[in-house]
Amino acid sequence: MDSLLLKKRYRPDLWAVFSWAVLGLVLGVLVYTLATLVVQSLPAWREMGAGLLLKNDWFFRHGRFGAAGMVYGTIVVGLLALALALPLALGAAIWMAEYLAPRSRWGVKVLIESLAAVPSVVYGLLGVLILRRWMGEWLAPFGAWSGDTLLTGGVLLAIMILPTLTTLTEDALQNVSQRQRAAARGLGLTRGEVVWSVILRQAMPGVLAASLLGLGRALGETIAVYLVIGRMDNQLPERLFSGTALVQPAQTLTSKLGGSELYIALGDPVHWGAMMALCLILLGITGLCAGASLFLNRLWTTNS
Amino acid sequence: MCANFGFPNVEESHSLIRPSWWCFALLMAFLLPIFASVATAVDVLRVQGSTTVNSVVADALEILQAEKGLSYRIDTQGGSSGGLYAIGRGAVEVGMSSAGFSEQDRARFPERDLRALTIGYDALALIVSADVWQGGVRSLTAQEMRGIYEGRIRNWSEVGGSDQRIVFFNKEPGRGTWKSFVRWLYGSENAAPPVNHPEVGSNSETRNKVIGTRGALSQLSAAWVDGEQVFALGIRDAAGEIVFPSQTNLADGSYPLTRPLNLLISGPPEGKVQLLIEFLQGPRGAELIRKHGYLPLSAE
Repeated sequence: MDSLLLKKRYRPDLWAVFSWAVLGLVLGVLVYTLATLVVQSLPAWREMGAGLLLKNDWFFRHGRFGAAGMVYGTIVVGLLALALALPLALGAAIWMAEYLAPRSRWGVKVLIESLAAVPSVVYGLLGVLILRRWMGEWLAPFGAWSGDTLLTGGVLLAIMILPTLTTLTEDALQNVSQRQRAAARGLGLTRGEVVWSVILRQAMPGVLAASLLGLGRALGETIAVYLVIGRMDNQLPERLFSGTALVQPAQTLTSKLGGSELYIALGDPVHWGAMMALCLILLGITGLCAGASLFLNRLWTTNS
Repeated sequence: MCANFGFPNVEESHSLIRPSWWCFALLMAFLLPIFASVATAVDVLRVQGSTTVNSVVADALEILQAEKGLSYRIDTQGGSSGGLYAIGRGAVEVGMSSAGFSEQDRARFPERDLRALTIGYDALALIVSADVWQGGVRSLTAQEMRGIYEGRIRNWSEVGGSDQRIVFFNKEPGRGTWKSFVRWLYGSENAAPPVNHPEVGSNSETRNKVIGTRGALSQLSAAWVDGEQVFALGIRDAAGEIVFPSQTNLADGSYPLTRPLNLLISGPPEGKVQLLIEFLQGPRGAELIRKHGYLPLSAE
């Protein structure tokens, strides 16, 4: 009996070995991906310089690669989605966290989180079938040629990130301690006043973190945007916030990468490099969002 | 037996049901089927490429599956250039292309012995939405089409229609449709001027967007035209003669915008690949090709 126990003790901890191996694998994949993107995009950076990022001039048949129009499309679509979704998400979250009985809150939360799990291609198809047509009709008086516009992409993305945004915002509101609520109520504040001047203020970093996470998701979304944005190159208006640009087709980094151009680029180092550079730029933008979200989340947890 | 080395004697009475072991086993249970499916995928005939060729090949594969027990996988990721890329990289056994096959394409993948087998021909139509057709536009000249492509003609009233903006959906520049189109207008792909238009990908996407947009114009395989929601314009020459993309005009060569439907293979055809090619080049294949609105080889 005693010897059996002893044998066991010197067996290597398989679980630790395995988890280290997996961690190494994950980090390895990450580093390998980044290194590949950087190395393969080098020919394009060498050829185009900073113009690859700053110039609005993408005609691959003529060897001209300037992705500013796509960067603009990506950022505007993401910000539009956030601007449209955040007020709705905040409203729904306040209702769930502050006014709903705990038991029904759980039910609503399950419903919303299952909405967040709907695959993006489903949203995309709904966008093509319904949203595209509606937007085409509504926007026609404003000069839209069809339902494929920057705004359609923004609205569709807003619908897509709404569940994620709502449930994360609700978590942030829930995390404000009950004592604060009780104290504020004890001071004679009404329920609405408590929400406005205590809960929202306390939960602000959490709400911001949730927004950034939602923004990151919107920026990286491909299929749904691909189907409704129109995929028109070199759409960069003179002014940053231009109404006419909103009702015209556009191109985002993801809709370009989702198209068939990737297949044409293969074999031409500069063109392929430019496509890889688009990946890098996209990675940079979404990484920035995720990083800012993490930073705010930490700020928030250390403060409360 | 083993010495104790002075470590405290820790009881581990339930080591067999340690949670870590169960987690490990569960993980393996998930991973093993994935490894297994990767290993068995070798036996499947993989086909990828042009949505135009796909409609015929998908039907042929289905018949071969029922009759000869052929297992296959087919998709249209990337269109014709996706098909060329996939066969060039050895990701599939058969690529589908409606873009023609040039020495340049062959030179892109020197390590492979790429060859193209034509199974039929397709007429490329200039398609418009119902409101344009009803507005009275029935044909365009190559000159007018160049004007629209380059953005100099922006309204249907300039080419004999009603006052409606022309919304031109350009096929993605990697698509076989796009290549045939610019070869017709400009002689070669590289001679096409730099333009910006909203882009469309697969044939069904093109069709749906044209149906759903007022004043729409695009390029599409004539086989997808129905004459109810999507209409094919004729091509008018300098003498005012109008030729529509019909099967007869395709067969006698009077319609200018045609292209071959190709299967791309690597090396001489063998086994499953040969089975597919023999079927498509045989009489039943020809019947299938005609059924989808294309012109089979034998009718030349």
